Amino acid sequence: MSARRVAITGIGIVSPIGCGLEAFWRSLAEARSGVRRLPADPASSGGVQVAAPVDWDPAAHFKGPEAGTLDRVTQFALVSAAQAIAAAGFDPAQADRERVGVYWGTGMGGANTLESAYAQVYGRRDFRLRPLTVVMAMNNAAGSNVAVRWGLMGPFANFSTACSSSAMALGEAMRAIRDGRADAIVAGGAEALLTPATLAAWLAVRTLAPADAADPAASCRPFHRRRAGLVLGEGAAAFVLEEEERAQRRGARILARLTGYGNSCDAVHMSKPDRDGQVRAMREALADAGLAPRDIGYINAHGTATIVGDPVECEAIRLALGEVGERVPVSSTKSMHGHLLGAAGALELAAALMPLCEGVLPPTAHLDEPDPACAVRHVAREAERAGDLRAVMSNSFGFGGSNVVLVAERA
Amino acid sequence: MDTLSRIKDLAARELGIDAGKLDPNATFDTLGVDSLSFVEFMFKVEDEFGIKVSDEELNGVKCFADLERLISAALAAAGKA
Repeated sequence: MSARRVAITGIGIVSPIGCGLEAFWRSLAEARSGVRRLPADPASSGGVQVAAPVDWDPAAHFKGPEAGTLDRVTQFALVSAAQAIAAAGFDPAQADRERVGVYWGTGMGGANTLESAYAQVYGRRDFRLRPLTVVMAMNNAAGSNVAVRWGLMGPFANFSTACSSSAMALGEAMRAIRDGRADAIVAGGAEALLTPATLAAWLAVRTLAPADAADPAASCRPFHRRRAGLVLGEGAAAFVLEEEERAQRRGARILARLTGYGNSCDAVHMSKPDRDGQVRAMREALADAGLAPRDIGYINAHGTATIVGDPVECEAIRLALGEVGERVPVSSTKSMHGHLLGAAGALELAAALMPLCEGVLPPTAHLDEPDPACAVRHVAREAERAGDLRAVMSNSFGFGGSNVVLVAERA
Repeated sequence: MDTLSRIKDLAARELGIDAGKLDPNATFDTLGVDSLSFVEFMFKVEDEFGIKVSDEELNGVKCFADLERLISAALAAAGKA
Protein backbone atom coordinates (compact mmCIF):
# COMPACT_ATOMS: atom_id res chain seq x y z
CA MET A 1 0.00 0.00 0.00
CA SER A 2 1.37 3.38 -0.94
CA ALA A 3 1.57 6.04 1.74
CA ARG A 4 -1.62 8.02 2.30
CA ARG A 5 -1.21 11.68 1.40
CA VAL A 6 -3.23 14.59 2.76
CA ALA A 7 -4.88 17.13 0.46
CA ILE A 8 -6.26 20.52 1.42
CA THR A 9 -9.57 20.85 -0.44
CA GLY A 10 -11.30 23.74 1.32
CA ILE A 11 -10.44 26.73 3.51
CA GLY A 12 -12.71 29.05 5.51
CA ILE A 13 -11.65 32.30 7.14
CA VAL A 14 -13.10 34.72 9.68
CA SER A 15 -10.44 37.37 10.25
CA PRO A 16 -9.88 41.01 11.13
CA ILE A 17 -8.96 41.62 7.47
CA GLY A 18 -11.79 39.78 5.80
CA CYS A 19 -14.34 37.03 6.01
CA GLY A 20 -13.69 34.33 3.39
CA LEU A 21 -10.43 33.14 1.85
CA GLU A 22 -10.55 35.47 -1.17
CA ALA A 23 -11.13 38.55 0.98
CA PHE A 24 -8.35 37.49 3.36
CA TRP A 25 -5.86 36.91 0.56
CA ARG A 26 -6.82 40.20 -1.11
CA SER A 27 -6.13 42.13 2.10
CA LEU A 28 -2.74 40.42 2.47
CA ALA A 29 -1.87 41.19 -1.15
CA GLU A 30 -2.75 44.85 -0.55
CA ALA A 31 -0.95 44.95 2.81
CA ARG A 32 -4.16 46.13 4.46
CA SER A 33 -4.17 46.17 8.25
CA GLY A 34 -7.13 45.34 10.48
CA VAL A 35 -5.49 46.81 13.56
CA ARG A 36 -7.38 49.70 15.11
CA ARG A 37 -7.72 51.76 18.26
CA LEU A 38 -9.88 50.34 21.04
CA PRO A 39 -12.25 52.55 23.03
CA ALA A 40 -10.38 54.54 25.68
CA ASP A 41 -12.64 53.30 28.48
CA PRO A 42 -10.83 50.43 30.26
CA ALA A 43 -14.22 48.91 31.08
CA SER A 44 -14.29 47.75 27.46
CA SER A 45 -10.62 47.75 26.44
CA GLY A 46 -8.94 46.58 29.65
CA GLY A 47 -6.58 49.52 29.11
CA VAL A 48 -5.23 48.08 25.85
CA GLN A 49 -4.82 50.71 23.13
CA VAL A 50 -5.04 48.67 19.92
CA ALA A 51 -6.30 45.29 18.72
CA ALA A 52 -7.53 43.61 15.54
CA PRO A 53 -11.21 42.82 16.07
CA VAL A 54 -13.49 41.09 13.58
CA ASP A 55 -16.43 43.12 12.23
CA TRP A 56 -19.12 40.68 13.24
CA ASP A 57 -22.89 40.63 12.96
CA PRO A 58 -24.14 37.31 14.36
CA ALA A 59 -27.57 37.88 12.77
CA ALA A 60 -25.94 37.65 9.34
CA HIS A 61 -24.89 34.06 10.08
CA PHE A 62 -27.34 32.60 12.60
CA LYS A 63 -31.11 32.45 12.56
CA GLY A 64 -33.34 33.66 15.38
CA PRO A 65 -32.19 32.89 18.89
CA GLU A 66 -29.33 30.56 17.89
CA ALA A 67 -26.55 33.13 18.11
CA GLY A 68 -27.42 33.77 21.75
CA THR A 69 -26.68 30.13 22.56
CA LEU A 70 -23.19 30.15 21.00
CA ASP A 71 -20.12 31.94 22.33
CA ARG A 72 -18.45 34.30 19.85
CA VAL A 73 -15.57 31.81 19.46
CA THR A 74 -18.02 29.09 18.41
CA GLN A 75 -19.77 31.45 16.01
CA PHE A 76 -16.41 32.13 14.34
CA ALA A 77 -15.65 28.39 14.23
CA LEU A 78 -18.97 27.44 12.67
CA VAL A 79 -18.81 30.14 10.00
CA SER A 80 -15.24 29.29 9.03
CA ALA A 81 -16.07 25.56 8.91
CA ALA A 82 -19.14 26.22 6.77
CA GLN A 83 -16.99 28.13 4.28
CA ALA A 84 -14.35 25.39 4.20
CA ILE A 85 -16.89 22.61 3.70
CA ALA A 86 -18.68 24.56 0.96
CA ALA A 87 -15.37 25.38 -0.78
CA ALA A 88 -14.37 21.73 -0.69
CA GLY A 89 -17.64 20.82 -2.41
CA PHE A 90 -17.91 18.30 0.36
CA ASP A 91 -21.36 17.06 1.32
CA PRO A 92 -21.06 15.50 4.78
CA ALA A 93 -24.49 13.90 4.36
CA GLN A 94 -23.10 11.86 1.45
CA ALA A 95 -19.90 10.91 3.25
CA ASP A 96 -19.16 8.03 5.57
CA ARG A 97 -19.33 10.37 8.54
CA GLU A 98 -17.73 7.90 10.92
CA ARG A 99 -14.59 8.40 8.82
CA VAL A 100 -14.73 12.20 9.02
CA GLY A 101 -13.45 13.93 12.17
CA VAL A 102 -12.90 17.35 13.70
CA TYR A 103 -9.54 18.51 15.09
CA TRP A 104 -9.75 21.97 16.57
CA GLY A 105 -7.54 24.43 18.44
CA THR A 106 -8.25 27.37 20.72
CA GLY A 107 -6.34 29.08 23.50
CA MET A 108 -9.13 30.24 25.75
CA GLY A 109 -12.35 28.81 24.32
CA GLY A 110 -15.50 30.65 25.37
CA ALA A 111 -13.81 33.67 26.94
CA ASN A 112 -16.81 35.97 26.44
CA THR A 113 -19.20 33.59 28.19
CA LEU A 114 -16.80 32.91 31.04
CA GLU A 115 -16.05 36.56 31.57
CA SER A 116 -19.68 37.65 31.63
CA ALA A 117 -20.42 34.87 34.14
CA TYR A 118 -17.59 36.07 36.39
CA ALA A 119 -18.72 39.69 36.02
CA GLN A 120 -22.17 38.66 37.19
CA VAL A 121 -20.93 36.60 40.14
CA TYR A 122 -18.06 38.74 41.39
CA GLY A 123 -19.22 42.12 40.11
CA ARG A 124 -22.92 42.01 40.90
CA ARG A 125 -22.98 39.13 43.41
CA ASP A 126 -25.69 37.56 41.27
CA PHE A 127 -25.22 33.80 41.38
CA ARG A 128 -28.09 32.89 39.07
CA LEU A 129 -26.09 32.05 35.94
CA ARG A 130 -27.75 30.98 32.71
CA PRO A 131 -27.90 27.20 32.21
CA LEU A 132 -25.89 27.23 28.97
CA THR A 133 -22.86 28.83 30.64
CA VAL A 134 -20.87 25.58 30.89
CA VAL A 135 -21.47 24.30 27.36
CA MET A 136 -20.86 27.74 25.87
CA ALA A 137 -17.66 28.43 27.79
CA MET A 138 -15.90 25.05 27.72
CA ASN A 139 -12.72 24.94 25.72
CA ASN A 140 -13.94 22.26 23.29
CA ALA A 141 -17.26 23.99 22.54
CA ALA A 142 -16.10 25.47 19.23
CA GLY A 143 -14.85 22.19 17.75
CA SER A 144 -17.68 20.14 19.22
CA ASN A 145 -20.26 22.44 17.66
CA VAL A 146 -18.60 21.90 14.28
CA ALA A 147 -18.90 18.11 14.75
CA VAL A 148 -22.53 18.39 15.83
CA ARG A 149 -23.53 20.78 13.03
CA TRP A 150 -22.34 18.44 10.27
CA GLY A 151 -22.71 15.12 12.11
CA LEU A 152 -19.00 14.32 11.87
CA MET A 153 -18.60 11.16 13.94
CA GLY A 154 -14.95 10.29 13.31
CA PRO A 155 -12.06 11.11 15.65
CA PHE A 156 -12.36 14.34 17.62
CA ALA A 157 -9.61 16.27 19.34
CA ASN A 158 -9.26 19.72 20.85
CA PHE A 159 -5.84 21.28 21.32
CA SER A 160 -5.04 24.11 23.68
CA THR A 161 -1.36 25.01 23.54
CA ALA A 162 -1.66 28.79 23.41
CA CYS A 163 -0.39 30.21 20.12
CA SER A 164 0.36 26.83 18.53
CA SER A 165 -3.10 25.30 19.23
CA SER A 166 -4.57 25.32 15.73
CA ALA A 167 -1.29 24.51 14.00
CA MET A 168 -1.12 21.44 16.24
CA ALA A 169 -4.73 20.57 15.35
CA LEU A 170 -3.77 20.66 11.66
CA GLY A 171 -0.57 18.66 12.13
CA GLU A 172 -2.26 16.00 14.23
CA ALA A 173 -5.19 15.83 11.81
CA MET A 174 -2.75 15.25 8.96
CA ARG A 175 -1.18 12.41 10.95
CA ALA A 176 -4.59 10.89 11.72
CA ILE A 177 -5.48 10.80 8.02
CA ARG A 178 -2.06 9.44 7.06
CA ASP A 179 -2.37 6.74 9.70
CA GLY A 180 -5.78 5.70 8.42
CA ARG A 181 -7.72 6.79 11.49
CA ALA A 182 -9.89 9.07 9.35
CA ASP A 183 -10.43 9.81 5.65
CA ALA A 184 -11.20 13.49 6.11
CA ILE A 185 -10.96 15.97 8.98
CA VAL A 186 -12.27 19.49 9.41
CA ALA A 187 -9.32 21.07 11.21
CA GLY A 188 -8.48 24.56 12.33
CA GLY A 189 -8.90 26.92 15.21
CA ALA A 190 -10.79 29.86 16.62
CA GLU A 191 -10.15 32.56 19.19
CA ALA A 192 -12.31 35.36 20.59
CA LEU A 193 -10.82 36.80 23.74
CA LEU A 194 -10.85 40.55 23.23
CA THR A 195 -12.74 40.90 26.51
CA PRO A 196 -11.86 43.49 29.18
CA ALA A 197 -10.32 41.13 31.75
CA THR A 198 -8.39 39.08 29.19
CA LEU A 199 -7.10 42.24 27.54
CA ALA A 200 -6.08 43.56 30.97
CA ALA A 201 -4.29 40.26 31.70
CA TRP A 202 -2.37 40.55 28.42
CA LEU A 203 -1.52 44.17 29.20
CA ALA A 204 0.03 42.96 32.46
CA VAL A 205 2.44 40.71 30.53
CA ARG A 206 4.00 43.96 29.18
CA THR A 207 4.33 42.54 25.71
CA LEU A 208 1.55 44.44 23.87
CA ALA A 209 2.31 47.23 21.40
CA PRO A 210 0.92 50.67 22.22
CA ALA A 211 -0.94 52.54 19.48
CA ASP A 212 1.35 53.94 16.82
CA ALA A 213 0.89 57.69 17.24
CA ALA A 214 0.88 58.47 13.52
CA ASP A 215 -1.04 55.42 12.30
CA PRO A 216 -2.75 53.03 14.76
CA ALA A 217 -3.18 50.49 11.93
CA ALA A 218 0.63 50.22 11.80
CA SER A 219 1.04 49.43 15.51
CA CYS A 220 2.17 45.83 14.92
CA ARG A 221 5.64 45.94 13.36
CA PRO A 222 7.32 42.53 13.24
CA PHE A 223 11.11 42.59 12.60
CA HIS A 224 11.11 46.39 12.70
CA ARG A 225 13.87 48.31 14.43
CA ARG A 226 11.18 50.09 16.47
CA ARG A 227 8.83 47.17 17.02
CA ALA A 228 7.04 47.51 20.32
CA GLY A 229 5.16 44.29 20.92
CA LEU A 230 2.30 42.19 19.69
CA VAL A 231 -1.26 43.21 18.86
CA LEU A 232 -4.08 40.84 19.81
CA GLY A 233 -6.59 39.73 17.19
CA GLU A 234 -9.51 37.34 16.93
CA GLY A 235 -11.11 35.07 14.35
CA ALA A 236 -11.03 31.55 12.96
CA ALA A 237 -9.67 29.47 10.12
CA ALA A 238 -10.89 26.03 9.06
CA PHE A 239 -9.46 23.53 6.60
CA VAL A 240 -10.95 20.45 5.00
CA LEU A 241 -8.13 17.91 4.96
CA GLU A 242 -8.75 14.75 2.93
CA GLU A 243 -6.91 11.62 2.00
CA GLU A 244 -5.70 12.55 -1.46
CA GLU A 245 -7.06 9.61 -3.45
CA ARG A 246 -10.46 10.13 -1.89
CA ALA A 247 -10.35 13.79 -2.88
CA GLN A 248 -9.29 12.87 -6.42
CA ARG A 249 -12.04 10.24 -6.76
CA ARG A 250 -14.71 12.78 -6.01
CA GLY A 251 -13.10 15.30 -8.36
CA ALA A 252 -12.28 17.83 -5.65
CA ARG A 253 -10.06 20.81 -6.38
CA ILE A 254 -6.85 20.27 -4.44
CA LEU A 255 -5.40 23.57 -3.21
CA ALA A 256 -2.19 22.10 -1.79
CA ARG A 257 -0.91 19.13 0.17
CA LEU A 258 -0.09 19.23 3.87
CA THR A 259 3.07 17.17 4.16
CA GLY A 260 5.18 18.22 7.14
CA TYR A 261 4.53 18.59 10.85
CA GLY A 262 7.11 19.34 13.50
CA ASN A 263 6.28 19.55 17.19
CA SER A 264 8.73 20.30 19.99
CA CYS A 265 8.73 21.81 23.44
CA ASP A 266 11.37 24.30 24.59
CA ALA A 267 11.05 22.97 28.12
CA VAL A 268 13.03 25.91 29.45
CA HIS A 269 10.67 28.82 30.19
CA MET A 270 6.94 29.65 30.18
CA SER A 271 7.17 32.73 27.96
CA LYS A 272 10.76 33.31 26.78
CA PRO A 273 11.25 31.76 23.32
CA ASP A 274 14.07 29.27 22.78
CA ARG A 275 15.98 29.10 19.53
CA ASP A 276 16.86 25.43 19.78
CA GLY A 277 13.28 24.30 20.40
CA GLN A 278 12.21 26.21 17.29
CA VAL A 279 15.04 24.70 15.25
CA ARG A 280 14.00 21.19 16.30
CA ALA A 281 10.41 21.80 15.19
CA MET A 282 11.48 23.22 11.79
CA ARG A 283 13.88 20.36 11.14
CA GLU A 284 11.28 17.79 12.15
CA ALA A 285 8.69 19.34 9.82
CA LEU A 286 11.16 19.21 6.91
CA ALA A 287 12.10 15.62 7.66
CA ASP A 288 8.46 14.65 8.02
CA ALA A 289 7.77 16.09 4.55
CA GLY A 290 10.88 14.43 3.17
CA LEU A 291 12.12 17.81 1.93
CA ALA A 292 15.46 19.61 1.96
CA PRO A 293 15.74 23.27 3.08
CA ARG A 294 16.16 24.34 -0.59
CA ASP A 295 12.61 23.09 -1.32
CA ILE A 296 11.11 25.74 0.97
CA GLY A 297 10.25 28.89 -0.98
CA TYR A 298 8.49 30.96 1.69
CA ILE A 299 8.19 31.02 5.48
CA ASN A 300 5.24 32.56 7.28
CA ALA A 301 7.00 33.43 10.52
CA HIS A 302 5.50 33.39 13.96
CA GLY A 303 6.85 36.98 14.11
CA THR A 304 4.76 38.48 16.88
CA ALA A 305 6.74 41.77 16.92
CA THR A 306 7.99 41.40 20.46
CA ILE A 307 11.45 42.78 21.20
CA VAL A 308 12.76 39.40 22.35
CA GLY A 309 10.91 36.98 20.09
CA ASP A 310 11.63 38.16 16.55
CA PRO A 311 15.45 37.94 16.59
CA VAL A 312 15.29 34.47 18.17
CA GLU A 313 13.05 33.20 15.39
CA CYS A 314 15.23 34.72 12.66
CA GLU A 315 18.27 33.06 14.15
CA ALA A 316 16.37 29.77 14.40
CA ILE A 317 15.38 30.00 10.71
CA ARG A 318 19.02 30.55 9.69
CA LEU A 319 20.19 27.71 11.87
CA ALA A 320 17.48 25.24 10.85
CA LEU A 321 17.73 25.92 7.11
CA GLY A 322 21.44 26.72 6.83
CA GLU A 323 22.36 28.97 3.90
CA VAL A 324 18.77 28.68 2.57
CA GLY A 325 17.73 30.45 5.75
CA GLU A 326 19.64 33.54 4.56
CA ARG A 327 17.70 33.89 1.30
CA VAL A 328 14.28 32.28 1.69
CA PRO A 329 11.54 34.97 1.70
CA VAL A 330 10.08 35.44 5.20
CA SER A 331 7.16 37.54 6.41
CA SER A 332 4.90 37.95 9.39
CA THR A 333 1.33 38.61 8.37
CA LYS A 334 0.52 39.41 12.01
CA SER A 335 1.45 42.96 10.97
CA MET A 336 -2.01 43.03 9.36
CA HIS A 337 -4.31 40.58 11.17
CA GLY A 338 -2.71 40.75 14.61
CA HIS A 339 -2.06 37.73 16.79
CA LEU A 340 -4.99 35.31 16.72
CA LEU A 341 -3.37 33.16 19.43
CA GLY A 342 -5.11 29.77 19.31
CA ALA A 343 -6.36 30.48 15.77
CA ALA A 344 -3.05 31.96 14.56
CA GLY A 345 -1.51 28.74 13.22
CA ALA A 346 -4.50 27.89 11.04
CA LEU A 347 -4.97 31.45 9.78
CA GLU A 348 -1.29 31.74 8.97
CA LEU A 349 -1.19 28.43 7.13
CA ALA A 350 -3.86 29.96 4.88
CA ALA A 351 -1.58 32.98 4.41
CA ALA A 352 1.41 30.70 3.75
CA LEU A 353 -0.49 28.99 0.91
CA MET A 354 -0.76 32.27 -1.04
CA PRO A 355 2.56 31.76 -2.88
CA LEU A 356 1.47 28.25 -3.93
CA CYS A 357 -2.12 29.09 -4.87
CA GLU A 358 -1.90 32.73 -5.96
CA GLY A 359 1.75 33.23 -6.87
CA VAL A 360 1.98 36.02 -4.30
CA LEU A 361 4.30 36.41 -1.29
CA PRO A 362 2.34 38.17 1.47
CA PRO A 363 4.37 40.93 3.14
CA THR A 364 5.33 42.06 6.60
CA ALA A 365 3.43 45.34 6.46
CA HIS A 366 5.01 48.58 7.78
CA LEU A 367 8.53 47.09 7.61
CA ASP A 368 10.45 50.14 6.39
CA GLU A 369 13.36 49.69 8.80
CA PRO A 370 14.25 46.04 9.44
CA ASP A 371 16.17 45.39 12.64
CA PRO A 372 19.68 44.13 11.79
CA ALA A 373 19.14 41.61 14.60
CA CYS A 374 16.37 40.11 12.44
CA ALA A 375 18.56 39.19 9.50
CA VAL A 376 16.45 37.17 7.10
CA ARG A 377 15.24 37.89 3.56
CA HIS A 378 12.14 39.96 4.34
CA VAL A 379 9.09 40.43 2.15
CA ALA A 380 8.92 44.01 3.38
CA ARG A 381 5.96 46.41 3.22
CA GLU A 382 4.44 45.17 -0.02
CA ALA A 383 3.53 41.81 -1.51
CA GLU A 384 5.85 40.35 -4.12
CA ARG A 385 5.40 37.94 -7.00
CA ALA A 386 6.38 34.46 -5.95
CA GLY A 387 8.69 32.44 -8.13
CA ASP A 388 7.93 28.85 -9.02
CA LEU A 389 8.17 27.34 -5.60
CA ARG A 390 7.52 23.87 -4.34
CA ALA A 391 6.78 24.17 -0.65
CA VAL A 392 6.07 26.66 2.15
CA MET A 393 6.54 26.62 5.91
CA SER A 394 4.47 28.16 8.69
CA ASN A 395 5.79 28.65 12.23
CA SER A 396 3.69 28.81 15.40
CA PHE A 397 5.36 29.13 18.76
CA GLY A 398 3.28 29.28 21.93
CA PHE A 399 3.66 30.34 25.54
CA GLY A 400 4.65 27.29 27.52
CA GLY A 401 7.34 26.58 24.92
CA SER A 402 5.14 24.71 22.43
CA ASN A 403 6.58 24.92 18.91
CA VAL A 404 4.64 23.71 15.88
CA VAL A 405 5.84 23.96 12.30
CA LEU A 406 3.76 22.98 9.26
CA VAL A 407 4.97 22.39 5.71
CA ALA A 408 2.64 22.43 2.71
CA GLU A 409 3.45 21.59 -0.90
CA ARG A 410 2.11 22.48 -4.30
CA ALA A 411 -0.63 20.01 -5.31
CA MET B 1 -51.77 39.40 27.66
CA ASP B 2 -52.68 36.01 29.13
CA THR B 3 -50.09 33.61 30.48
CA LEU B 4 -50.16 31.21 27.51
CA SER B 5 -49.66 34.06 25.02
CA ARG B 6 -46.68 35.30 26.99
CA ILE B 7 -45.21 31.79 27.02
CA LYS B 8 -45.76 31.49 23.27
CA ASP B 9 -44.07 34.82 22.63
CA LEU B 10 -41.13 33.77 24.73
CA ALA B 11 -40.94 30.41 22.92
CA ALA B 12 -40.89 32.22 19.58
CA ARG B 13 -38.12 34.54 20.76
CA GLU B 14 -35.95 32.07 22.65
CA LEU B 15 -36.59 28.74 20.92
CA GLY B 16 -37.53 29.88 17.41
CA ILE B 17 -40.88 28.07 17.63
CA ASP B 18 -43.67 29.62 15.53
CA ALA B 19 -46.10 30.95 18.14
CA GLY B 20 -49.07 30.73 15.74
CA LYS B 21 -48.59 27.04 15.11
CA LEU B 22 -47.67 26.05 18.63
CA ASP B 23 -49.84 23.24 20.01
CA PRO B 24 -49.81 23.68 23.82
CA ASN B 25 -50.29 19.94 24.28
CA ALA B 26 -47.42 18.85 22.04
CA THR B 27 -44.56 17.44 24.11
CA PHE B 28 -41.25 19.30 24.17
CA ASP B 29 -39.67 16.19 22.63
CA THR B 30 -41.84 16.41 19.54
CA LEU B 31 -41.13 20.15 19.29
CA GLY B 32 -37.42 19.41 19.25
CA VAL B 33 -36.80 21.10 22.61
CA ASP B 34 -34.16 18.98 24.35
CA SER B 35 -33.51 18.98 28.09
CA LEU B 36 -30.72 21.56 27.98
CA SER B 37 -32.72 23.93 25.77
CA PHE B 38 -35.64 23.49 28.13
CA VAL B 39 -33.58 24.35 31.20
CA GLU B 40 -32.27 27.45 29.40
CA PHE B 41 -35.85 28.33 28.41
CA MET B 42 -37.05 27.98 32.01
CA PHE B 43 -34.32 30.42 33.04
CA LYS B 44 -35.94 32.98 30.73
CA VAL B 45 -39.43 32.03 31.93
CA GLU B 46 -38.42 32.77 35.53
CA ASP B 47 -37.15 36.19 34.42
CA GLU B 48 -40.26 36.94 32.36
CA PHE B 49 -42.74 36.07 35.12
CA GLY B 50 -40.62 36.96 38.13
CA ILE B 51 -41.09 33.50 39.66
CA LYS B 52 -38.86 30.73 40.95
CA VAL B 53 -39.53 27.12 39.91
CA SER B 54 -37.93 24.22 41.76
CA ASP B 55 -36.44 21.14 40.07
CA GLU B 56 -39.21 19.00 41.61
CA GLU B 57 -41.94 21.21 40.17
CA LEU B 58 -40.35 20.94 36.71
CA ASN B 59 -40.35 17.14 36.71
CA GLY B 60 -43.96 16.78 35.57
CA VAL B 61 -43.78 19.47 32.88
CA LYS B 62 -43.90 17.85 29.44
CA CYS B 63 -45.62 20.47 27.27
CA PHE B 64 -46.48 24.17 27.16
CA ALA B 65 -49.94 23.51 28.66
CA ASP B 66 -48.25 21.90 31.72
CA LEU B 67 -45.95 24.89 31.91
CA GLU B 68 -48.87 27.32 31.80
CA ARG B 69 -50.54 25.54 34.75
CA LEU B 70 -47.29 25.62 36.70
CA ILE B 71 -46.69 29.32 36.04
CA SER B 72 -50.30 30.27 36.86
CA ALA B 73 -50.05 28.41 40.16
CA ALA B 74 -46.73 30.07 40.97
CA LEU B 75 -48.16 33.51 40.14
CA ALA B 76 -51.22 32.84 42.30
CA ALA B 77 -49.02 31.67 45.19
CA ALA B 78 -47.00 34.85 44.88
CA GLY B 79 -50.16 36.92 44.79
CA LYS B 80 -49.40 38.17 41.26
CA ALA B 81 -52.46 36.68 39.53
